[in-house]
Amino acid sequence: MMDQSALCRPWEHTISRRQFVAAGAAATAGTLGLAPFLQTSIAEEVQKQHKQVLFIWLDGGMSQLESWDPKPNSQFGGPFRAIATSVPGIHISELLPRSAEQMHHLAIIRSLCTQDNSHSAGVARIQRGDPKDRGVTYPYFGSAVAKLLGPGKSGLPPYVWIKPGSGGFMYKDAGFLGPKYGALAFGDGQPPENLTLHESLTPSQDDVRNRLREAANQRYSNRRRKSVTEANSYVYDMARSLMKRQDLFDSTQFDARDVQRYGTHEIGRHMLQARLMLEAGVTFVKVNSYGWDTHGDNFNGHASLVPKFDQAFAAIVADLADRGMLDNVLVIAMSEFGRTPRINGHVGRDHWPEAWSLAMAGTGVKKGVVVGETNDKGTFVKDGEFDIGHMFHTWFAALDIDSRETAYNNAGQPLPIAHDDMQAIKDLLS
Amino acid sequence: MDTPDPAKKFEPKEYGLVTAVPQVHAARFHPQGTMLAAGGFDARLRLWDLAGEEPVELPSLAGHHGWVQAFTFSPDGSRIYSADSWGQIRGWDLTNDPAKLIWNIDDAHDGWVRDLHVNADGTHLLSCGRDRRICVRDTSTGECLFDPILHTNEVFCVRYHPNGKTFAIGDDRGTVLIIDGASGKTLRRIDASALYRAHRLQDVGGVRALTFNADGTTLAVGGTVPKNGGSVQGTPTVLLFDEASGEQKHTLGFGATTHCYVHDIHLHSSGFVMVVTSGTPGQGQIIFQRPEEDKPFFQHTKIPNCHSLSFHEPTGQLAVAATNRGSNGNGRRINKEGEYEGNNSPIHLFRIDA
Repeated sequence: MMDQSALCRPWEHTISRRQFVAAGAAATAGTLGLAPFLQTSIAEEVQKQHKQVLFIWLDGGMSQLESWDPKPNSQFGGPFRAIATSVPGIHISELLPRSAEQMHHLAIIRSLCTQDNSHSAGVARIQRGDPKDRGVTYPYFGSAVAKLLGPGKSGLPPYVWIKPGSGGFMYKDAGFLGPKYGALAFGDGQPPENLTLHESLTPSQDDVRNRLREAANQRYSNRRRKSVTEANSYVYDMARSLMKRQDLFDSTQFDARDVQRYGTHEIGRHMLQARLMLEAGVTFVKVNSYGWDTHGDNFNGHASLVPKFDQAFAAIVADLADRGMLDNVLVIAMSEFGRTPRINGHVGRDHWPEAWSLAMAGTGVKKGVVVGETNDKGTFVKDGEFDIGHMFHTWFAALDIDSRETAYNNAGQPLPIAHDDMQAIKDLLS
Repeated sequence: MDTPDPAKKFEPKEYGLVTAVPQVHAARFHPQGTMLAAGGFDARLRLWDLAGEEPVELPSLAGHHGWVQAFTFSPDGSRIYSADSWGQIRGWDLTNDPAKLIWNIDDAHDGWVRDLHVNADGTHLLSCGRDRRICVRDTSTGECLFDPILHTNEVFCVRYHPNGKTFAIGDDRGTVLIIDGASGKTLRRIDASALYRAHRLQDVGGVRALTFNADGTTLAVGGTVPKNGGSVQGTPTVLLFDEASGEQKHTLGFGATTHCYVHDIHLHSSGFVMVVTSGTPGQGQIIFQRPEEDKPFFQHTKIPNCHSLSFHEPTGQLAVAATNRGSNGNGRRINKEGEYEGNNSPIHLFRIDA
């Protein structure tokens, strides 16, 4: 285990003594869940409203020039046109016609300037919010939200991940928060194996069996570190909660028109399932799409990829708006970086963290705005350069979490939840 | 072939180089071999006069938007037709100095025009676009002669058969259709689906090059046998079909998956296949291979990322449009002047004396 004493102390940074005392006192209480880590008033407010997040991760790097920040008819602009949106004066790529119709719900930031141009560093750095190095591994945004907002009243796991490929419990996402706050991943949206109760067991037999498990777990945990034992129990609890909600994996319940509207492709199916998860009350739903690393054949690649994202993204934004859920759900669509303006010999674009874009919608976010600007060629940020730390502050603010007043408690060490030197982007917040 | 050493007989000897900044998609010879045209990323059609010892650049043909990927000369060389990625097609009179615009259709297609081709007597112009439409146009006006043909997939390539009565279209899923030029009806369907793969969310590959031999008996279809999407890797491949029956006669693969795409094909009158390939930045090939043999008799790998090949048989001129070395890289690349640099297209000019 890491030597806690070697870690920096809060007074070296910007956390106040009051926050330190509050966080430390909460940790001393030693209870599980939300309260130890948050000031009581914040926790109560969060529980009352139960904010949620839909986090759409386009792995590999969507090109900003073929999506949210087109530069048509310029040196690096590529072949595609820009189209008008539902907000006069805002134009996006012609590859996003359906999202253009939802622009009045969206906020686009076009001036992200992050640091890493490699996937290996970039993905983690971006999803952990790149806080200052304090010798600990910070949680991914999903784990952070799972910790800070909790599971709500749904009884469902607070952080689920719908992804292509295999599923499982992704405990590493949680960093120092401990494995309990990892992601429960549903490979291709499928439930964990053996979720149904074996036919030889009755529910009452299962209850007896479960009480025995809990008792054994209790004995086991008395002799071990809590972060490990609680994760072990937590996985069982999650499984039991999911056993009661197998409808979350039943794709036959969807209206055929919705299936067509979202698209029968991978991201369409997964986004429709994400809607169901959000409706069921899951706090943080991540939807992944892979294959966006278009170093070669970028333009045909984006001509194939972006319209499928567009279809699914616009459909869920429209549905969340129709259901009034955008009042509580924060929607974020992004990658680890954008793509180079320069077009390489494979007619591809490489990694570009210098000037890229993401799109947001929903709770706490201004509607129908573009924040930040790149220059005419799209090579660099012209106005309002922001890093991922700014975005974490902004997202926490949108979720009514005060990122200046809230701190994690890492075994007695209070840690800021977002980069100390950055702040929320007010122009993005409603 | 009548020589024991075709590699020497048909060896291209480089005699010139022109560099297009920014990049171009393709460079093509005028039917008389006296001019070179190249369409590129800056909405221009570039022209070079080749009549003298050194190529001399002529005024570019402007008025386009986005990319000029598709262009084609009329068979007699008096005209050139150009199209852009915003849907515009223009006809130009090359007998005028400078070239003169004779017609313009702003919305010929909804978006990216992928390819153009003129029939043997110069009266009809084929166009295809990202809007999944194929149009047969009157070359004197640019107007469609009948309602556009609607395709279920995006069409990347169009080529008239030398007989002028039929044409071939190749789509993004690796299907080639032989179409009756008068009615627009499909006569035959040719399966080149080996050149397509659905990988993750992406449709990868498709028909990237299409050509007939001089008598129209053989149809060559080029692209890649895709391994993956994203950065796209695959084996550069040409499939040769008997045009009349649609039967596949040969499959020619050209090296490692990093070489990726066959971007252009010419079927030489001596019976061999000339191709260029482009893949991972830095990887490029010029290859000559007899269909019945299992490896090329000529292979040149020193030019990175070869995107087009134009061979003018009467004069033996060969033009290959490529991309400069060091064209890729993540993150900033700033030159000494502090400017962010783009790439360019060296167009290599060769002569084959055979």
